[in-house]
Amino acid sequence: MSTTLVSQSLVKAKSLSCPNCGTPIELRGFAHTLSAVCPSCLSILDASNPELQILQTYQGKERIEPKIPLGSRGAFNGTVYELIGFEQRSVQTPDDYFSWDEYLLFNPYKGFRYISEYCGHWNVIRVQSRVPYPTTARGRRGWVLDARKFAAFDAMQAATSYVIGEFPWQVRLGETAACEDFIAPPYMLSSETTAGETTWSLGEYWEGSKIWQAFRLPGKPPSPQGIFANQVSPYAGKTGAAWRMWLWFNVALFTLMTIFNLTKANKEVFHDEYSYAYFKSHDTSFVTPAFQLDGVNKNVEVRFHADIRNDWIYLSMALINDETGQTFDFAREVSYYVDSDGSEGSRDNRVVIPSVPAGRYYLRIEPEMVTGALSTRYEISVRRDVPIYSYFWIAAALLLIPPIVTWFRSNQFEARRWRESDYRPVDSPVMKIAGGIIESLGDD
Amino acid sequence: MSAPTSNCPNCGAPVTFRWSSAIQTTCEFCHSILIRTDLDLKKVGEVADLPADASPIQIGTEGVLDNKGFVVIGRIIYEYEQGGWNEWHIVFNDNSNAWLSDAELEYDVSWLAPQHQIPVIGRGSECILANRAYTVTSITKAHYKGVQGELPFEYWDKSDVAFADLRTPTGEFATIDYSEKTPLLFLGRSVEFDDLHFKNLRRFEGWTS
Amino acid sequence: MNNPLFLLYGVLLLGATGYLEYTGKSFDRINQQRVLPKSIRDNPGAYRSTYGGYSRYIGGK
Repeated sequence: MSTTLVSQSLVKAKSLSCPNCGTPIELRGFAHTLSAVCPSCLSILDASNPELQILQTYQGKERIEPKIPLGSRGAFNGTVYELIGFEQRSVQTPDDYFSWDEYLLFNPYKGFRYISEYCGHWNVIRVQSRVPYPTTARGRRGWVLDARKFAAFDAMQAATSYVIGEFPWQVRLGETAACEDFIAPPYMLSSETTAGETTWSLGEYWEGSKIWQAFRLPGKPPSPQGIFANQVSPYAGKTGAAWRMWLWFNVALFTLMTIFNLTKANKEVFHDEYSYAYFKSHDTSFVTPAFQLDGVNKNVEVRFHADIRNDWIYLSMALINDETGQTFDFAREVSYYVDSDGSEGSRDNRVVIPSVPAGRYYLRIEPEMVTGALSTRYEISVRRDVPIYSYFWIAAALLLIPPIVTWFRSNQFEARRWRESDYRPVDSPVMKIAGGIIESLGDD
Repeated sequence: MSAPTSNCPNCGAPVTFRWSSAIQTTCEFCHSILIRTDLDLKKVGEVADLPADASPIQIGTEGVLDNKGFVVIGRIIYEYEQGGWNEWHIVFNDNSNAWLSDAELEYDVSWLAPQHQIPVIGRGSECILANRAYTVTSITKAHYKGVQGELPFEYWDKSDVAFADLRTPTGEFATIDYSEKTPLLFLGRSVEFDDLHFKNLRRFEGWTS
Repeated sequence: MNNPLFLLYGVLLLGATGYLEYTGKSFDRINQQRVLPKSIRDNPGAYRSTYGGYSRYIGGK
């Protein structure tokens, strides 16, 4: 459609010299740069007019070296940006002083981005033209942006304490702004208010290694200390996933139990009743008729029931293979006591003998009691190939451990995160104790 | 397609109109401001040297918005205490026009919204426009710095102009221009550089677009 | 895969449970004895079980 020649001229970076010390300065931000800092005498110069007036001279003693050198270029979300400015901001409160670094990135087409760094924690930040919706989060004023709820994390008066490079605004050392941070990890929504005007920015937490990769910097980034406001929890999403996996495992466990229930014969092969009379001859042992046990090496359950009350009966038994003579020896006591408080013991007991080869078997039984009763009735039954339910209950209980541990560790991480906040919540006593236990179990 | 051509009444250079509804343009060579009358072009003023600006957009830059191609045909340049911005005048291939604002490389597109009740506002106040809730994000006193290219109205030698910017959480944008007796309302939205698929941008030393 | 360790743990747990169930193992105290002569059948008293005698006597209340 266009037929007129479009200008093909190249916009060049302006080169000037510092009026204070004569050092040559090249403005990499083209006409966006409003103030520039002389790299040698650190005076702040007004770049908006060609005379480069001195706005502020540097009174401090030390030079601060940015962790990423000015002039570095790095790729962020597919676009290359150049680092043109560095600012250190500090907060002084009655009992604390801390500072963080801000790096200004520039691309002549896509605009400006910021990178902040505090104790090894990095954020890539973009100023927002949109305004967020107000809401309530954690009992305080919060904000909603992009369908994410941001909770208030801290508020402070930040002062510019060191600058180098160039900026698209008039920087001044000592200039303060009221800053507030709201978090929805990995994002942080920050507001900065100066002279009644509020600017919103959205930051995303980046790991130092990712920043180093973007700029292709040599060496290693500084190691992070502690947990940062919008740092992603290593347990993010893991608790839900763990409970979901737990659910599936329980389904599998139940299925397994059902399969065994259906495939095990659980066949009663012998059942008889006996009477124990105290005054019989002292050799009370006897043998039962033989019964057949089928199946290869299945288990055998021997169950006993005794009609006793406030008494006990001791049964010493042997399962003997009629053909091979192989013997399985065991004994059990059945004891049962009742009084006005309740009962103790049980009238039933059982034994499961694993891996009994098929064949013809009989039981040798030797009961013992010390009792005044004339006769005590008891029953013995034998079942072949029974399911053992206790294993499933134990497995179900053990399955609870990973999701509970994950849940605790996730809560512990969040507690550590919020301990840094100006609005830290008070831990409930349960969480304090639990937290203490988990922390002692294994601190990463 | 041939665009109507005239000659600059001041220096005789050829002046081309890309847009049939353009009221005003500037001569590329002598920087005279020319108004279009029925018969010919009339010089009404001159544009002083435009301030050095770093917008990557220039007259002739093309792009795509809402699946319609557009070309940049003119601009109004403003400065305020935090820097400068350009209001680029763009014309779509269906002959409709809009404004593409470039303020420190943040881009917004807006269209003149006729017949709107302009609400009384202050900074931070909220109002409803076109069934949406807007918050006033800034009230700016801007200095007019110059014009270039084709504009849909007469506009030159303004001094200070007040603007109010309003925004929503979802990126809608509105601006109220208080330069005339009756304030003008523009409605639009913020746009990303990548979504405009620009061509014929300015080139910067050491950078590829 | 969020929790590979949990998956491994669960699979091993279910595997162990399945194995124990399938082989019918139990943890009851059984003493597998030597082969006994057939005569025991006719004379049960001749066989002295390892568990002969009183067990741990749990008296009354």
